[in-house]
Amino acid sequence: MLQYFDPDKDYGTPAQLSENMITLEINGVSITVPEGTSVLRAAAQADINIPKLCASDNLEAFGSCRVCAVEIEGRRGTPASCTTPVETGMKVTTQNKRLGKLRRNIMELYISDHPLDCLTCPANGNCELQDVVGAVGLREVRYGLEGSSVETRTHLDAEKDHSNPYFSFDPSKCIACSRCVRACGEVQGTFALTIDGRGFDSTIAPGQNQPFLDSECVSCGACVQACPTSTLMEKSVIEMGQPEHSIVTTCAYCGVGCQFKAEMKGAEVVRMVPYKDGQANHGHSCVKGRFAFGYATHEDRITKPMIRDSIDQPWQEVSWEEALSFAASKLKGLQQRYGRESIGGITSSRCTNEETYLVQKLIRAAFGNNNTDTCARVCHSPTGYGLKTTLGESAGTQTFDSVMYADAVMVIGANPTDAHPVFGSLLKKRLRQGAKLIVADPRRIDLVKSPHVETNHHLTLRPGSNVAFINAMTHVVITEGLEDKTFIANRCEESAYQAWREFISEERHSPENTESITGIPAEELRGAARLYAGAKNAAIYYGLGVTEHSQGSSMVMGIANLALATGNIGREGVGVNPLRGQNNVQGSCDMGSFPHELPGYQHVSDDQIRGRFESVWGVKLDNEPGLRIPNMFDAALDGTYKGMYVQGEDIAQSDPNTNHVQAALRSLECLIVQDIFLNETAKFAHVFLPGASFLEKDGTFTNAERRINRVRKVMPPLSGKQDWEVTQALSNSLGYEMNYNHPSEIMDEIAQLTPTFASVSYERLEEMGSIQWPCNDETPDGMPIMHVESFPIGKGHFAITEYVATEERSTRRFPLLLTTGRILSQYNVGAQTRRTENQVWHDEDVLELHPVDAEDRGLQDGDWVGITSRAGGTVMRAKLSDRMQPGVVYTTFHHPGSGANVVTTDNSDWATNCPEYKVTAVQAVKVSEPSEWQQRYNEFNNQQQGLLKQRRRNKAAARD
Amino acid sequence: MGNHQLTSLIKMANQIAANNTHIGNETEEATMVANHLRKFWARSMKQQITDYLIEGGEELSPIAKKAVAEL
Repeated sequence: MLQYFDPDKDYGTPAQLSENMITLEINGVSITVPEGTSVLRAAAQADINIPKLCASDNLEAFGSCRVCAVEIEGRRGTPASCTTPVETGMKVTTQNKRLGKLRRNIMELYISDHPLDCLTCPANGNCELQDVVGAVGLREVRYGLEGSSVETRTHLDAEKDHSNPYFSFDPSKCIACSRCVRACGEVQGTFALTIDGRGFDSTIAPGQNQPFLDSECVSCGACVQACPTSTLMEKSVIEMGQPEHSIVTTCAYCGVGCQFKAEMKGAEVVRMVPYKDGQANHGHSCVKGRFAFGYATHEDRITKPMIRDSIDQPWQEVSWEEALSFAASKLKGLQQRYGRESIGGITSSRCTNEETYLVQKLIRAAFGNNNTDTCARVCHSPTGYGLKTTLGESAGTQTFDSVMYADAVMVIGANPTDAHPVFGSLLKKRLRQGAKLIVADPRRIDLVKSPHVETNHHLTLRPGSNVAFINAMTHVVITEGLEDKTFIANRCEESAYQAWREFISEERHSPENTESITGIPAEELRGAARLYAGAKNAAIYYGLGVTEHSQGSSMVMGIANLALATGNIGREGVGVNPLRGQNNVQGSCDMGSFPHELPGYQHVSDDQIRGRFESVWGVKLDNEPGLRIPNMFDAALDGTYKGMYVQGEDIAQSDPNTNHVQAALRSLECLIVQDIFLNETAKFAHVFLPGASFLEKDGTFTNAERRINRVRKVMPPLSGKQDWEVTQALSNSLGYEMNYNHPSEIMDEIAQLTPTFASVSYERLEEMGSIQWPCNDETPDGMPIMHVESFPIGKGHFAITEYVATEERSTRRFPLLLTTGRILSQYNVGAQTRRTENQVWHDEDVLELHPVDAEDRGLQDGDWVGITSRAGGTVMRAKLSDRMQPGVVYTTFHHPGSGANVVTTDNSDWATNCPEYKVTAVQAVKVSEPSEWQQRYNEFNNQQQGLLKQRRRNKAAARD
Repeated sequence: MGNHQLTSLIKMANQIAANNTHIGNETEEATMVANHLRKFWARSMKQQITDYLIEGGEELSPIAKKAVAEL
C-alpha cells in the first residue's frame, strides 16, 4: 500500500489527524487511514485517483460536482466519495460501466456551457477540467453548442473582469464548483466571494457583485490557486504561458516565512505558487509573496558597482575589484586616522542567515570591533531582551500551527491580517472554530470585527500605557487567585516569584487604579484577564505595538509574567509569540548581529565563548560590546564614527527622527551601501555594491517560529554576485581571508560555533524541509514547542515591571498621539512593493484620524494635513476613520516622500534603545503645501537621481 | 567630545535607572544599572559617561550616578 505524502498531489479532501485507524477495501485493495478520512482521499493515498472537480485537499468536501461518485457495497446509489467518510470493512468500487457513464454525462453537461478554445486557453497544459474530461472519455456533447440537437442558454459571452492587477476573472470558463468561494472563506477567511443567483444564473460574485478590485478581496491568490479552470488566472500566465519547471524557495517579505514554488520558464519567474508542504504556510499566501515579486527585475535595479568621493558628485561605474579596493582603502584609512572603533556596519534582516553571519564576522574579525547592529534594533530588540530575561531564550515559544489548539488568544499591538496575513488567516480559522479573542490595540484593527470573527474584548489602551495595562492584567490574575500554582511551584524561581507577587498584588496596579492611565474600563480589563486565565490553553501574539515603546522590554517581560503565572508555556496552544516583522529578522538576531552578542546570543565578554570564535576565525576579538545604531548616529555627529557598511537596510527611511539620521549619514566619510536599489540611504553613500534579490541566491531564512527555511536560487544574480560573495570579497580586500564556495559551508561554520544550531546542515534541511532551532544532539529534529520540561535558564523568571510613563505625552502644543505601522499591500520602506502593482492599493501614506479630531481642525477626507512633533514636520493627506479613537492618529512609513519618520522622535526603549515609534505627540493642521522637509527632500532626491543618471550618460559616452 | 552622544547617554542612563527602582535598596539598584551598562554599552560610551561623572555628572539621577561610579 502506498502511504507516502506527495506535496504536489491534490488528495481531494484535508488530512485527518485521528489516531483511530480504519481499514477498508477500494477496488479490492486493502487501505488503512485515520478515522474521518474521505473515501476520495483514502483512494488517492493508494494512488487510485478518482476524477474530481469541486474537491481540493485544502478545502472541506463540498459534494457539488458529483464526478467523484463511487459504488459502495450494500449502499444504494452512487455517493460522492469526497463527502463519504471511510468505515471499517467498507468495499468501494471506483470505476465500472455505470460510474463511467454517470461521469461522462456530468462532464457533457459541464462542457455544454464551456468554451472549446482549449488550444488558446491560458490554462492549456494545466487544466483540471480538461484532465477530467480526458479521464472520463467524453466524446460528444449533445446540448448547448452550435449544431447540437437541444437549444440551451450558455454563459459563453460573460464579461471578463481585469480589474485586479495580478489576475483576471473570465466567468465564461467558470464551472461554478465554488472552490474559489470556499478558498476565500475557509483558507483566507475574507469571505469576499459568493455565488450570486440561483440555478442556471449562478455566478461567482466578488463583494456586492463588484469588480474584484472594488470588493473586499485582499488579493491573496487563494481563489486563483483553487480554480480548476482558467476562470481565475494569473495575468503573468496569460501573458507568458505555462511554466516549465519549478523550484521551492522562501518568501522574502514578512516573518511568517511562507514557502513558494517559483514556477519558471528558463530564468524568468512566471508565478509564485504557495507550497503545500511549506511548514509555515501550508499552501497559503498573501498578496505580497504571491504576486509582488516583479521588483526583482524592475528597471530601477542597479547591477554594477559604483563609487564617488563625495555625495555631490556623479556616480562612477567601476569593476567589482575597483569598487572593493576603493571601499577597503577608505575603511583602512579611516581606522588609521580615527581609530579601530571609528567604523562599523549594519547587517540585513532581509538577507540570508549566511549573509548576515558573514557581515557580523567581517565587522568583528576584519574591522576588529563589535560595531554591528541590525534592523531588529528598531523592531524586536526588546523581545530578545525580555524573553531572554524571563524564559531564557530570545525567541517565540511555538509553531504557528499551535494556534489551532488555543482556546483563548490575546493579540497585543499586532495586526496580523495586514502585517502577517498568512498567520492572520490561520488565526481567523481557529476563531471561527470557537476560540475566544482579546485584542489590545488603540485602533480597531480588522480582527476586532470582520466576517465570522468578533473579539470578546477590545481593550483600547492609550499609546504608551502598555506596562500599566499588562500589570493590571496580572494583578487580576494574582489577586483573584487565577494563577496556576502547580506550574509556578514546579517551573518558576521561587524567590523571584515571591518578590514579583508582592509587587503585582499592590492595589495601585488594579484595573480600577490604572484606568485613568490606560483608558481601559476596569470591568472590561477584568473580563479579559479572567477569560485569558480561565482558558484551558491561552496564547499571546504580539507585535511592534509592544516593543516600540520606551518600556518595550518591560512590556515583553510583563507578557512573559502573565504567561508564566497562568502556566501558559510549554505545550501546544499556548505560549508567547512575537510576530516578527522582516523575513529574516529572527535569523539576523540569531546570527550575532547585535553589538554585545556573538551568534547564538553568546555574550562577547565571555572569554571561553569568545575563545572558540577566535580559534575558528583566527583573530583576536574585542571583549567589549560595540555601538548600537542610534549610538552610531550620535557618534557620527560627534565626529568619532566615520565609516559604515550597510547591507540591505534603508536606515535613512526606516529609522526615527529622519533629520537626525540624515545629518549623521552626511557626516560619514565613507558609507558603503549594498542593496538592490539606490535606496534613501544610498543617496548618502560613497560606494554602492549591487545586491541580489532572494530569487538570485542560496541560503536560509529563519521565521518567527524559529523555523530555518531554505532559500534557493531560481535565477542568476543580475550583478554576477550573491550578497555573501560580495561580503567575502570585501573582507578579502581588507586582508581578512574568507574562502567559502557555497552558503552551505557558511552554515557548517555557524553550526560549529552556535550551540542552538549544532546539528543544522543543508543536508538535514533537504531531508526535513525546515528545522525549528534549537537543533543539536539533544533535539536532533529541532524543537517546535519550547520550554516543555524546563527553561534554558532552568526555571522561569518573574521580572518586576514597574510602569514608568514615557516622556512623550500629549500637550497643549502637541495634543494628539501618533502611532505608526504598516498595511497589507506595502512592506516596510516599500523599496520592493512600491516597485510592483501593489501600488494600486496604497500609493501614498495617509494620516488616519477620528472624524471628531478632523472636525475640530476643519479637516475633510483627502485634505492636506501638516503633522508636527518636536522632532519635525511633514504633510500628508487626511483619511477620516472611526477605526481610530479620538486623540490618536496613525500613519504608515512605506513612501520616502511622506516623511513619517521626520515626525517620530529619538525616544527609545530603556533596555535596548528600540525607538518609540508608537508614541509621538503631534499636532495636525490643515495646510496647502508640502512641508519644508518635503521640499528639501524633493530637491535632494532630484539631485541624487540626477547624479545617478549622469553615471548612465558617462557610461554611454564611454561606449561611443 | 561632542554633545550629541553625551546627551543621549545621560538620557539612557537615567532611563535605565528609572526602570530599575523597584528593589527599594539604592545600592542594589545601582548595581543592577551598572551591570546593564557593562553588558550593553560600548567601551567609548562607558568612558564618556564616566568622564561626565568625574566632571560632576549633574544631570544624572542619583541611582545613575551611583551606577556609573561602579564602572
